[in-house]
Amino acid sequence: MSMIELQAILPIIVLTVVIVLLMLVIAFRRAHGLTAGFTVVGLLCTLLSIPIAMAVGEQTMSLLSVDRYGIFFTVLLLGVALASTLLSWEYLRHRSGRNEEFYLLLLLATLGALVLAFANHVVSLLLGMELLGVSLYAMISYPEKGKLPLEAAIKYLVLSGCASAVLLFGFALLYAALGSMSFVEMGERLSAATDNQVLILAGTALVLAGVGFKLSVVPFHMWTPDVYQGAPLPVAGFLATASKGAIFAALLRFFMEAQLHQYDTLLVTLGVLAVASMLVGNLLALQQQNIKRLLAYSSIAHFGYLLITLVAGGMLGGSKLAVEAASYYVVAYVVTTLAVFAVISLLSSEGGDEKQSVTDLTGLFWHRPLLAGILTLSLLSLAGIPLTAGFIGKFYIFTAGIEGALWVLLAALVLGSAIGIYYYLRIIYVMTLQDDNKTVKYSSPWLGEIVAVLLAVLVVWLGVLPQPLMVYVGGFF
Amino acid sequence: MLELVLFYTASTIALVATILALTRANATHALIYLILSLLAVAVIFYIIGAPFAAALEVVIYAGAIMVLFIFVIMMLNLGDKGDRREKQLLKPQIWITPVIFTLVLLVELVLVLSQSAPAEIQGLVTPKQVGLTLFGPYVLAVEIASMLLLAGLVGSYHLGRRYLEEGRENSSRGRS
Repeated sequence: MSMIELQAILPIIVLTVVIVLLMLVIAFRRAHGLTAGFTVVGLLCTLLSIPIAMAVGEQTMSLLSVDRYGIFFTVLLLGVALASTLLSWEYLRHRSGRNEEFYLLLLLATLGALVLAFANHVVSLLLGMELLGVSLYAMISYPEKGKLPLEAAIKYLVLSGCASAVLLFGFALLYAALGSMSFVEMGERLSAATDNQVLILAGTALVLAGVGFKLSVVPFHMWTPDVYQGAPLPVAGFLATASKGAIFAALLRFFMEAQLHQYDTLLVTLGVLAVASMLVGNLLALQQQNIKRLLAYSSIAHFGYLLITLVAGGMLGGSKLAVEAASYYVVAYVVTTLAVFAVISLLSSEGGDEKQSVTDLTGLFWHRPLLAGILTLSLLSLAGIPLTAGFIGKFYIFTAGIEGALWVLLAALVLGSAIGIYYYLRIIYVMTLQDDNKTVKYSSPWLGEIVAVLLAVLVVWLGVLPQPLMVYVGGFF
Repeated sequence: MLELVLFYTASTIALVATILALTRANATHALIYLILSLLAVAVIFYIIGAPFAAALEVVIYAGAIMVLFIFVIMMLNLGDKGDRREKQLLKPQIWITPVIFTLVLLVELVLVLSQSAPAEIQGLVTPKQVGLTLFGPYVLAVEIASMLLLAGLVGSYHLGRRYLEEGRENSSRGRS
């Protein structure tokens, strides 16, 4: 590797160095605040290294390609990691046990996510996904007490292991048919390949199933509610945002660079998955009394919406509009979902059992107006109400869908959003109810509240002034 | 021709052994079939021209990891019950099938080795090529894999501590 290439992957190198240093820090002195502080500084250093990496322009290497697209998702993922670190600090502070390794796992998971954002090769895609997955198994089962985290971690371990095996098998079939593992080369040979069509279709179908598991798209969604419910709140937030966002980023790059849009069968399959996810996700969320499970079903629906962009991109022959819409929606979804998880995780930062039930939020407007306001704002954004990031994101997807003339998918989108409004508004309604028997004293988790406020500001900013981000995401591929 | 026969024999053994491994009720029996399946896969690797992968399959999977598994499972069965179970292990109907399969694989291996050119189906992949690729274009993959191992290590350390502490709590509760 040349010096220029090393400079291009500087964010990944810096993050790796931070991980090794953090391990040494923990080995010398176990202190929760020190570890969390070091993690924050390390993530900031990684963010600062991005301009240096961008100075050498776009570099395509054999495993990673550092381009505007990858850098964009790197910034997003590092932001999520930073917010998750601070929220985890608030969450773990009042809970006993050894908390230091948690930050090590968080950084390792972030490293996996960064690799996914840059991956342009099957090997780096799989390694990134595994690094993210293995760190998440341990993070989900991190609390030292209670059976639910263990149950969630085992479910995630077994199902995610199966998904990885399916994915690997799919890539093996593609390699057998095409003789290459780099996305771009696969795309070139795909257009030239006339024989081996069965192998290619079977391979892409298996890859789709494997990625579908990780993104929890219907019918591969069974694990999602249980894992969300069992995982500690900051981890559930990280799983819902960074993990799914990074895997979707890798899938989008694979889809575009390997030119999979030329297969009509694949597009039809994606369309069916999208409709199923939108309807099933929203319908199952309707009757949920547990906020974490509700968010799990809502994330299933949101990834249904996101799949529309892939189908639209396919119908238009790999158009820029679809990539724009997908990238914008991922940002809107990640910021909004993280804000929701931030608020709920801050409500549980006193220690003890997590506040998971919708009824726990009764009267939140009266005793914690700031958090209730942020939660309302982000729920409105998830529902897609104007002036929020979620609205612009949905609008973008709608535009892409109309360009591709995907009327069935758009009908499902409208129907799904309509159902969604009901259960998002129900939470807001519960928060406004009077509840006079609760006079609990709480210490204000100010650091976490700053994070939540920043996320809420971002939600509104992306909804009111989407122009700068739109211009940036317009330049991909 | 001979290679094709050898390939299909080894593949059949691998499939049958894997199915048997999945359907055994006893963990030790299942593991023995799993080892057999891994050995058969190693022979397949050798036949299609990847001797290095074959050696790794035997040394690491069938050798180190699986033997470790068997030792742990056997050690968990200490005491009278375990002794009785171990006596059952020595019954011929349990070990005769894996042994026959392994002998078939051994015969295959001898046949392949006795030939002058072991790989005619595909180009031979030598250990040197593997090393040069691994530490040339794929060096980043090796680095990421090392981080993956670190993640596994940290995670299992933390979970193992939970197990130890729960055990300690249970034993102290038993005393009081």
